[in-house]
Amino acid sequence: MESRPSSTPPLLTLAQAWPALLAWTVGWAAMCWLDGTVDLANLAMLLVLSSAVASLWLPVWASALAGVVAVLAFNWGFVPPRGTFAVDLHQHAILLGAMVVVNAILATLTAALRQQARRAGDQARRAEQLRRWGDTLRDAIDPLAHVGQLQEALAQAAGVPVALLVLKDKLPAGNDDDAALHVGQPDADQQAGLWVCLRQGQAMGPGSGRHEELADAYLPLRGRGITLGAAVLCGLGDVPHLADLRDHAQSLCDQMGLALQRGAAARDEQRAREQAQTQGVRNALLAAISHDYRTPLATIMGAASSLDEQGDRLDLGQRRRLARSIVDETTQLSRLTDNTLQLARLDAPGVTLRCDWESAEEIVGTALNHARKRDPQRRVRARLEPGLPLLWCDAMLMSQLLDNLVDNALKYSPADSPVEVLVRRQGDRIVLAVQDRGAGVAPAWRERVFEVFHRGAEPVQPGVAVPMGARPGAGVGLAVCRAIARAHGGELTLRSRSHGGSSFECRLPVREPPPAAEVGGSAP
Amino acid sequence: MTLRVLLVEDDRELRATLRDALVVEGYEVLTAASLSEGLALVAHATRPGGAADDPAIDLVVLDLGLPDGDGESLLAALRRRHAIPVLVISARQAEGQKIRLLDAGADDYLVKPFSIGELLARMRVALRHRGTTVRAAVTHYRRGGVEVDLPAQRVWRDSAAVHLTPTEFKLLARLVRTAGQVVTHRQLLADVWGAEFTEHTHYLRLYMGQLRAKLETEPAEPQMLLTEPGVGYRLAEAEE
Repeated sequence: MESRPSSTPPLLTLAQAWPALLAWTVGWAAMCWLDGTVDLANLAMLLVLSSAVASLWLPVWASALAGVVAVLAFNWGFVPPRGTFAVDLHQHAILLGAMVVVNAILATLTAALRQQARRAGDQARRAEQLRRWGDTLRDAIDPLAHVGQLQEALAQAAGVPVALLVLKDKLPAGNDDDAALHVGQPDADQQAGLWVCLRQGQAMGPGSGRHEELADAYLPLRGRGITLGAAVLCGLGDVPHLADLRDHAQSLCDQMGLALQRGAAARDEQRAREQAQTQGVRNALLAAISHDYRTPLATIMGAASSLDEQGDRLDLGQRRRLARSIVDETTQLSRLTDNTLQLARLDAPGVTLRCDWESAEEIVGTALNHARKRDPQRRVRARLEPGLPLLWCDAMLMSQLLDNLVDNALKYSPADSPVEVLVRRQGDRIVLAVQDRGAGVAPAWRERVFEVFHRGAEPVQPGVAVPMGARPGAGVGLAVCRAIARAHGGELTLRSRSHGGSSFECRLPVREPPPAAEVGGSAP
Repeated sequence: MTLRVLLVEDDRELRATLRDALVVEGYEVLTAASLSEGLALVAHATRPGGAADDPAIDLVVLDLGLPDGDGESLLAALRRRHAIPVLVISARQAEGQKIRLLDAGADDYLVKPFSIGELLARMRVALRHRGTTVRAAVTHYRRGGVEVDLPAQRVWRDSAAVHLTPTEFKLLARLVRTAGQVVTHRQLLADVWGAEFTEHTHYLRLYMGQLRAKLETEPAEPQMLLTEPGVGYRLAEAEE
């Protein structure tokens, strides 16, 4: 019952004809049956009754026609002299005349009533549709996802095919079809019409007062002072009660327009917030890095300027020491630069790792080799579980991670205590741990040591042991370690050891290594 | 005869520092600030009194990330004419390019910042392997109690013979021939297993592990069979 004929409606539908025919048949049957038992006036009342019942279904013209035919037939069959159209008595003529008039009035009234009822039904349905549509949009996080529902709602309301064009974001300079979401199958003309409607923000087509000659009605999806899309109702010209329907369709479209505008505003807000946050993180990072650079730079400046200005007054040993401290501090700066660079790289979206099958033994071996330069007493020891699987990782990054952790452990534990690098398998994870016997990290700092250095966020009280992360140099190093672990689908955590000290533990997922059976297939 | 080095580096300060340091070490140094300048020097440099096809340059130190392109064209020009060793200087960000050049035949690399000592050591190794000094092609290797005799295919550790499988020996022999220099994963896989195995890095992990277990005192902290993460392997220089 919701659908409307899209072409010219037939004069009389089967659904209207059957009940009317039945009413007439019953009426005539009753009249024939009662003929002779009751007088003519009573039979005539049966006729009026049948006509009234039939007019509940029939259109006005059909009711009127049926009434006239019925009166003629009544006249022919029941009014004496029977079998002729002649009217015998004066009173019968009044009866017949009254019947025709009553029939006509009944038919008109019933039809008007029926039409009013239908319009009221339509209004109620539309109100209900609007309410449901409003509910859908109110709960929608992304109104764009409901464009299909708008098309359905419009098609249901209008009973014609509907196509939509909805902007994904800002209005493009040209009619760029990629910048919009398309629903339905508009032809090239309709597509162009949609863009025109979208750009002008005004309805076009039948009943709109603009381009009345068009066969299709174009409706804009309006927000407040902005148009975010357009809809075309194909072939709307012939639909009855066009104005009501247009108003309703426009309401549906405008609800969508407003929802889209709300969505766009929310997106803008989110974007602005993220931007502010990114800016904040970047500023913190820059401040931290600049601070970390200052110390080695100061040493280098001191040593180099001393060599430059006092060189001829220094003995060989002093000059050597100064040169040595420049080399050492430069190494420190170089590591800091590597860490900063890596942090920036891993932070960027769509970072690609250069992963390969790597052996844990080799990665640990490289880290030990690097550490020995800063570890003349050989405090660093490695323990690897035998039979470890190969790791799928970026070797450069993993050795950077271990370098940083070992460096950190050497720096923040007593000069004679051991530092251990442990590698073992734990279920479907490989654990690389670097453990020291230092002062450990206060519980409040256990997560924060991984954050990029933010000195001053919590003033350190005098006399309280400065936590590891609050000292210069640790921030970027541990932050990049965590970034590396996460880029590999793993995690880096800090655990306090039961007898003092810290254990930094990097857990990496174990991947199925390639089959090793063919290894050495072409041995000499 | 003084050894002649071509230094291609666009940073003026670093170029001057390196040149001074090399001159102190007794090298003759030609400098170029760009790739085109370097190419011109390679094409036209002649040694006073030298024969026409005598290489006018003994070694090239090539910085990646020059303003007028990457070093591959220079490497190709050098390789076309003579087997002149090339040392690549790279920054951290130029990983891919560095490995490409090594695969294409550059001899070794240094990552900025590096010390003069490292540079000189790498240059010495590179020059030795090109036979420009007295040393002939490497056939023997000795370091930290390990001895390798390539012609006899024998290996000893602390004077006891070590049994290696054929593949292990082939891998070790490949590293001995360029001892002191980095060999990329690709080169090792191609030379030991064959060109179709260049992606099978896990073979290398397995066999290097076995070699270390047989030859190193402390396999977890190798002194001889060194790993260059993400690049390849390096057999430590032989003891003099």
